[in-house]
Amino acid sequence: MAATKRSLPQLAELLYILVRKELKARYKNRFLGYLWALANPFAFAFVYWIAFKFIMRLEIENYSLYLITGMFPWVWLSVGVTGATRSFGVNASLIKKVSLPRAILPLGNVAQEMVHFAFALPVILAFLWFAGGQPPSASWLWQLPVLLALQVAFVYPLALSLALANVYVRDIEYLVGIGFSLMFFATPMVYPIAMVPEAYRHYFELNPLHALMQSWRSVFLHGTLDLNHMAYAAACAAVMAAIAWLLYRKFARRIGELV
Amino acid sequence: MTHAVMCEDLWKTYQRHRAIGVKSLLLGADTPKETRFAREWALSKVGFEVPRGGSFGVVGPNGSGKTTLLSILLGTVQEDRGSVSLNGRVASLLELGAGFHGDLTGRENVFLYGSILGMRLAEVRQRFDRIAEFSELEGAIETPLRTYSAGMVARLGFAIIISSPADILLIDEVLAVGDARFQAKCHQALREFRARQGTLVIVSHNMKELTAVCDEGICLELGQVVDAGPIDGVVARYRQRAAAAGPGGPPGGALGSR
Repeated sequence: MAATKRSLPQLAELLYILVRKELKARYKNRFLGYLWALANPFAFAFVYWIAFKFIMRLEIENYSLYLITGMFPWVWLSVGVTGATRSFGVNASLIKKVSLPRAILPLGNVAQEMVHFAFALPVILAFLWFAGGQPPSASWLWQLPVLLALQVAFVYPLALSLALANVYVRDIEYLVGIGFSLMFFATPMVYPIAMVPEAYRHYFELNPLHALMQSWRSVFLHGTLDLNHMAYAAACAAVMAAIAWLLYRKFARRIGELV
Repeated sequence: MTHAVMCEDLWKTYQRHRAIGVKSLLLGADTPKETRFAREWALSKVGFEVPRGGSFGVVGPNGSGKTTLLSILLGTVQEDRGSVSLNGRVASLLELGAGFHGDLTGRENVFLYGSILGMRLAEVRQRFDRIAEFSELEGAIETPLRTYSAGMVARLGFAIIISSPADILLIDEVLAVGDARFQAKCHQALREFRARQGTLVIVSHNMKELTAVCDEGICLELGQVVDAGPIDGVVARYRQRAAAAGPGGPPGGALGSR
């Protein structure tokens, strides 16, 4: 194998260039540009707010805040992983015709959605303030980066594993889409976990996505780190990282002839 | 002299069912018949060595394994048996426009491809003027790549790899789209590259080009080395076989030499 050895700064620059390429290509000539990244989560949150608060008249305290604080990390997770699952097929020419570390392609999707999330952050924080939640807090300056790191550590191994699997079993990209639709409702996103009947609540607590979402909500809504949920999410991330590493070592070399 | 590129007893087979779907899991994969383009061994017992500063040409009819060989050298395809070793930084141009993005400008694509080749952005910045000048794109370097002709894309790609700090260049049939004057300029640049002890492996159907820039070479047919030695002889014998086979020749016979 003659793959060029790359240093960490080189890899960082390559990632930066690949992400910038995708963002530029997506937003070229779009007057509203990045605002579109905001529109989707807000539209979803608005629809659920109408449905649950206004029509079904559920009594949930600060429901709009609850929706918004989960929706943005969820969109990052689901859009990032769905895109990453397809990334080897979409970038077939980069896989077959140039030499680059293949693990960087799904990372690109995760990073791209992280950029969208980061751009949305000021709007989320402003919304929280105006809607009667947490006023701007200095502790966010270190809490949010910790959560960003946790989310990347959680999302990237999942994205890489699914991307590799999708090269071998092409149907996975469709299953991922369906999976996220189901998980959106299986994870307490539009309802609080307290509404789940007590007999089943235990199973809902096992869902690592719930732990991740609760970690975000705790910071956004209370300005505190929810260490229990964070530890559980981090442990799941570590397991997924081990799986992703094994899959990558075993299967990455063959994908050049399969995409 | 130490080698820059060496491969020994290289074997490669492709799994002929491309990817598993739920359908093939349920119904069983159908195995296609063995044909010239779907044979068991894409490459078998291929071996050669290129010294530092050497220039190596690979000829052969379509489907003879040339691109597979170059992909293995680059590391995008994994060999089944045998060994490959390359000493030095590698830059490749395997397919026209691969690694480029149509919505980005020529300038942005220079940074993209440079970064893919393993250059630091500072290195690309340093070399940018030289790349732009060599490509002769002038003002077009600031317009999106999708507005370029094939020749312009080839110019930009070649300008980037020839200006990169690579020790080894792998080139697959991409210069053919340039006009005669630009091709001559590329050949001149390749000679200068070799004078700096750069090593070249080039796949081409352009026999004039091969004899102009290479000194040694091999001819592949059905994945096997059928001829090796100084490039003039390899090209001449390849042409003879192609002429003998004729346009309706048997599969695997030498086809279409230009």
